[in-house]
Amino acid sequence: MTSLWLAWRTTTRYRVRAMLAIVGVAVIGALLFDMLLLSRGLLDSFADLLRSAGYDVRIIGSEGLPIVRVPIAGAARLAADLRARPEIGDVVLVRIERATAQGAGHPPRPITIVGTTQIGGGPYTIVKGEDLPATSSSWDRCPILVGRRLAAALGVAPGSSLRVSVRPEGIRSALPPIVCRVAGVVNFYFAATSEDAVATTMDALQEALGTSGESADLILVASRPETGPAAAVRVIQQLRPDLRAYSNEDVLAQFNQNGFAYFRQISFVLSSLTMTFAFLLVATLLTVSVNQRLGEIAALRALGIGRARIASLLLWESALLVGAGAVLALPLGGLLALGLDRLLRQMPGLPDRLHFFVFQWRAVMMHAALFAVTAAAAAGYPVWLATRLPIAATLRREVVG
Amino acid sequence: MAVVEARRVTRLFPMAAGPVAALRDVSLRVDAGEYVAVSGPSGCGKSTLLHLVGVVDQPTSGEILFEERDVAGLSEAERSRIRLVRIGFVFQRFFLLPMLTARENVELPQAEARVPLADRRARTRELLEYVGLADRADHLPSQLSGGEMQRVAIARALANRPALLVADEPTGELDEQTGEHIADLFGRVHADGTAILVVTHNPMLAARAQRRVTMKSGRLVA
Amino acid sequence: MTATVLLAASLAGAGDSASSAPPPGVLLSRQLAARARISIGDTVTIAIDPAGTRAVSLRVAGIYEPTPDPLRFTAQRLEAHMHLPDLVALVADPTDPAAREAVDAINVKLTDPNDAGRFASDLAVRAPSVTVTPTSRTRDDDPFAVLDRFHVAISIVTVVGATAFLLALMVIRAEERRETIAIMRLIGISRRSLIAAVAVEGLLIAAGGALFGVVTAFAAEGLVNRFFQARYDTALVFLRVTPSIAARSIAIALPLGLAAGVGASWPLLRGEILSLFRR
Repeated sequence: MTSLWLAWRTTTRYRVRAMLAIVGVAVIGALLFDMLLLSRGLLDSFADLLRSAGYDVRIIGSEGLPIVRVPIAGAARLAADLRARPEIGDVVLVRIERATAQGAGHPPRPITIVGTTQIGGGPYTIVKGEDLPATSSSWDRCPILVGRRLAAALGVAPGSSLRVSVRPEGIRSALPPIVCRVAGVVNFYFAATSEDAVATTMDALQEALGTSGESADLILVASRPETGPAAAVRVIQQLRPDLRAYSNEDVLAQFNQNGFAYFRQISFVLSSLTMTFAFLLVATLLTVSVNQRLGEIAALRALGIGRARIASLLLWESALLVGAGAVLALPLGGLLALGLDRLLRQMPGLPDRLHFFVFQWRAVMMHAALFAVTAAAAAGYPVWLATRLPIAATLRREVVG
Repeated sequence: MAVVEARRVTRLFPMAAGPVAALRDVSLRVDAGEYVAVSGPSGCGKSTLLHLVGVVDQPTSGEILFEERDVAGLSEAERSRIRLVRIGFVFQRFFLLPMLTARENVELPQAEARVPLADRRARTRELLEYVGLADRADHLPSQLSGGEMQRVAIARALANRPALLVADEPTGELDEQTGEHIADLFGRVHADGTAILVVTHNPMLAARAQRRVTMKSGRLVA
Repeated sequence: MTATVLLAASLAGAGDSASSAPPPGVLLSRQLAARARISIGDTVTIAIDPAGTRAVSLRVAGIYEPTPDPLRFTAQRLEAHMHLPDLVALVADPTDPAAREAVDAINVKLTDPNDAGRFASDLAVRAPSVTVTPTSRTRDDDPFAVLDRFHVAISIVTVVGATAFLLALMVIRAEERRETIAIMRLIGISRRSLIAAVAVEGLLIAAGGALFGVVTAFAAEGLVNRFFQARYDTALVFLRVTPSIAARSIAIALPLGLAAGVGASWPLLRGEILSLFRR
């Protein structure tokens, strides 16, 4: 005859109200769980995205967020100097331009064209075909990888041809189009869902631009594991103090400070509100329930059932209601998170692989801890009420009432 | 030896219009094995006296000695312990826990007194047979009549073999015939050696007592 | 046009200006003025790099509150406004004649704002190297439209949870009045009258609760805005409770309260009278 057993019997006796309370806690708990996932989800997803590229330092030519593009002069020379340093594992030059692409029988579509010196294993997953070749040949001067959405829109597949006209900023007249061979169809990690992108070799892009290989918009650097990205950043700053070098941690910190601020705040606000909500409602339910049973409780006290036992009984009642709701909240929250994630990913300009709600065990632990505190706090007033009631006066009132 | 003795107890209740004296200078003693009935008109202080003697309430002035111990100096935990193992309470409205069966209601005070499970089960079986409800052991209070519920309540009150059984209008919500059965049961309990203090309007129940006291306006008059 | 500038403040006294012409004026954002402890009338030096290259003196003509940008509310608005010729003179490369003709953006005000989309498309075709963007966003490319839907989704979840709890509380209330309702039915009070009484009670509770909620929201509005405006040093309004929102909240609460009250009491109103007296 433990307090838990007694609490269980009380809860099952008042089945309807218990079920409704559990459903209420579960729904609110689902929202709380999702806010806990959101509190770090976007950040963790973005970190995952950054790491997936395989490089841990980014060099750009301007202040501010490292997505603003100002050309980096002398990029090839810098890359060569970096490769010679023991702290540096690999260096890749990236250039990004606007262009149009036209497939047979289709009108031109605006695209983003990315030229890279990376050989194999870029920030994309090959869906069909093959990766860019290590070197370009005279008969294949413009191999390209086409994003899946664009490939479907243009009706191209590996082996097809595309006419690409590059339209760099600041140049008024359009450059002559070049014919490119589709080497593969890919899912780009960093492309927005609504963005059409292609990737090609740096040589091919520069040939299309009619320029030599001295500038880039972005330089990706992989540090050696034994020295780490901080050492790589120091090296870069020594070689080129006019440039901005950001490790992945720096990028994340900026993102956390700026881009993620809204979600962090709303996560905090909604987490607090849902906890307060759950507390108020369970406390109200328990208090009303205790008020209904005052005669019973006074009789138990008169029979010699101690205050500690009464308190324990009520705490277990709270724990059962809140606990059952909290457990049910997890799968419910998971489903809700899928829906909310799908909704939020409709935001323009977001990479396809970015998610707002990312499962973490830490969130489950926090969810459990918060509900444990809520259950204890919600039982506070009813316990006080039940353990402090004047036995004789209550018995008298119950008889008269 | 006195099981319980009230010495010149007064109980005042603060009210908006001024304190009301529910008991004035009342002295009462119940010896071991004695059966005492307290009668009087409504509002004369009978239940208040019962609550004081049952260590449920404390007097404004005077002493309550339970088994020669002054309860005033005891902590709430100690008073609770006395109520659990030395006093058994029977209420007018039964106050059985509605979600527990008859058996479980009788077991509850024993579980609180940490009686081992096997002993608890045996004692419960014995008590339910004693009150004639062995075949209703697994029924909920909602499945029992008023008289049956009161019998379960009496079994519950006797669970820890108390020295004193205290009853507040135990037949108040029962019909005459059922009340008579309850009165018979009280007689048996008394015959088995338990002291009883009962507050009642029921003359038949009062007639079974060894000693009858009458109250009026917070005082003992006879 | 933007440039990395060095801002240095010098407090110019009454007689120490070397040139006879007053320096050109500059407006500073409130945040910058506070950070650099500059007031109106002070003379500041602006240069294009931390070394002070091509520094010019300007007089602070005014301090302004930057128009809050919800997409950049965490950004520190350390900015200054100058006349374009002054800025061009400061940052343009003197060896490049074309540099004096270059700007970063051109703002266009149309006689009919509804033409913005068509104008943008037309201009993009004529000037393919230029990015033309209407300032108003369509629903498809407006992140706040997505956030709006997100907020609505969360509101729906909250209402569902609250409804479950409301029902639980109404069930308890109904249980408490089981005998009362039984007695009333026994003495001949019609079900219709009882339903009406329960419905009115549910409506009153819902109305009271909704009004309390609206008042709390209005009170919270000020607190929330003050907190976040101080936190991010911005004039952006984060939370606004409009009469429309208040009316919608009440419009949702009332039928829920009514339904919960009637629904919770329905078994007592429809069940057998005598069964209501059984425990």
